[in-house]
Amino acid sequence: MDNGIAITAKNISKTFHISEDSHNTVKHRLFNLFNPPKRKDIPALKITSLEIKKGECIGLIGRNGCGKTTLTKVLAGVYPTDTGYIKINGSTMLMNLGVGMSQELTARENIYVSGSVLGLKIKEMDKLFDEIVDFAEIRNFIDTKVKFFSSGMMARLAFSIAVNAGADIMFLDEIFSVGDMKFQEKAIKVFASSWIEGKTVVLVSHGMPVIKTYCSRTAFMKDGQIEFFGETDRAIELYTADNQ
Amino acid sequence: MILKILNDWLGRSNKVERLWLLAKIEFKLRYYENKLGLFWALLKPLLDIFIYYVVFQIVIKQNIPAFASYLFIGLILWNFFVESTTGTIQILNTKKYLYEYSNMNKIEIYVSTLLSNAIGFFFNFIMFLIFYTFLEKESTGLSLYNFWILAVFLNLFILSLGTSLILSTLYIVAKDISQIWIVITSFLFFLSPIFFKLSTFKEALPSFDYGNPIAGIIINARRVMMEHQDPDFQLMGFNYAYAIFLLLVGLIFLNRLGSKAAEKL
Repeated sequence: MDNGIAITAKNISKTFHISEDSHNTVKHRLFNLFNPPKRKDIPALKITSLEIKKGECIGLIGRNGCGKTTLTKVLAGVYPTDTGYIKINGSTMLMNLGVGMSQELTARENIYVSGSVLGLKIKEMDKLFDEIVDFAEIRNFIDTKVKFFSSGMMARLAFSIAVNAGADIMFLDEIFSVGDMKFQEKAIKVFASSWIEGKTVVLVSHGMPVIKTYCSRTAFMKDGQIEFFGETDRAIELYTADNQ
Repeated sequence: MILKILNDWLGRSNKVERLWLLAKIEFKLRYYENKLGLFWALLKPLLDIFIYYVVFQIVIKQNIPAFASYLFIGLILWNFFVESTTGTIQILNTKKYLYEYSNMNKIEIYVSTLLSNAIGFFFNFIMFLIFYTFLEKESTGLSLYNFWILAVFLNLFILSLGTSLILSTLYIVAKDISQIWIVITSFLFFLSPIFFKLSTFKEALPSFDYGNPIAGIIINARRVMMEHQDPDFQLMGFNYAYAIFLLLVGLIFLNRLGSKAAEKL
């Protein structure tokens, strides 16, 4: 199993079928047996193959709507792929604006649940708990339900769980856009420390300095396809050119 | 397939812990949110029993011996089935936060929710034991046959899990499955010997105890808890076959439809 490869994706693709009127009740399906709904196909991800090694930090850049988020969700195993196959070696965690937290649970419960989903034991979580709370700066709200949190607090908590608990393979989708300036600095500092060493990270960002500093290889996406995958500098050049 | 899943579970050592953690939180969410709390979980079956007792023993005069206990064991099993099926139709929607951001196996979400229902059942069952031993006048007391209830409950658990998997994955493509299921459950409820005399039931609907999987479970539970008998093994075999068949169908559905949950719901 352990051959130094974290993710192998072969010929994966994803097309979303969006029907104009919702055909998702039994009644609707029966009454419209001979009148299929108008469907719109959106090829969000065209046939793509890639391989990510363990411990690599991969950048993923491209303009809005080019399929970055879809690619991360397919790679993380959240969306099934339409074609080809994906082999994931380890637990994955996908982080964007709202990471897996239940609104109905308190911060404490959410920390334990997320940690457990990421593969940690309760004892390990006990040890990490204070660190997570302090990093997120929510000490006074541990037993408050997350639904009463401000969006900044939510984002900080999510980031803190991700950083401290961490899965084997992390997909970080625009995580540096959350929190105030002080927290952003803190987040970047985590990256600058040895945190990413030994972890496989796929970093989606529009912030080129971050990509440039931390990513060994970068993929540039356009129209649902990976146009270039390799040296970070070259990928950034292509991205900049695409934005002109 | 089941073996593979079991293997996968045991391989990762925190899985059992995780199931328990999720079950505990689910249980707490359900009962600690309202003022009555856990008390309500205990009170509800008693109120149900009171209603059916008045209707079927006092008004209709069925003359079933130890009728309150007869109802009690039937109703708590039935309630477990309803809570685990009707209550989980939207599970892929309400528990989205668990699978949307990681590659956690969805089956764990189901098992943990059913475990939390099983905790509730456990409390109700203890109440039944207390009621039957100390309060029921026509009680025949406890016996070693009572241990068969574990096999009966396991049967019910598998049946509920299978049904829950099928319903909740169908929910992804057909939202009105919940309304349809409410009709089916009330059909099953009235066609199970929950408050009828077993002989009346068998006379009116011959061999229907084989047709309705939940009926056999209730019949066997009463045999082992109240009648000091072995369960009807043929009936039990049938019920296990039903339950395992539904579980297999449910797992196939989860594989086919459930994998689309993140994008469709």
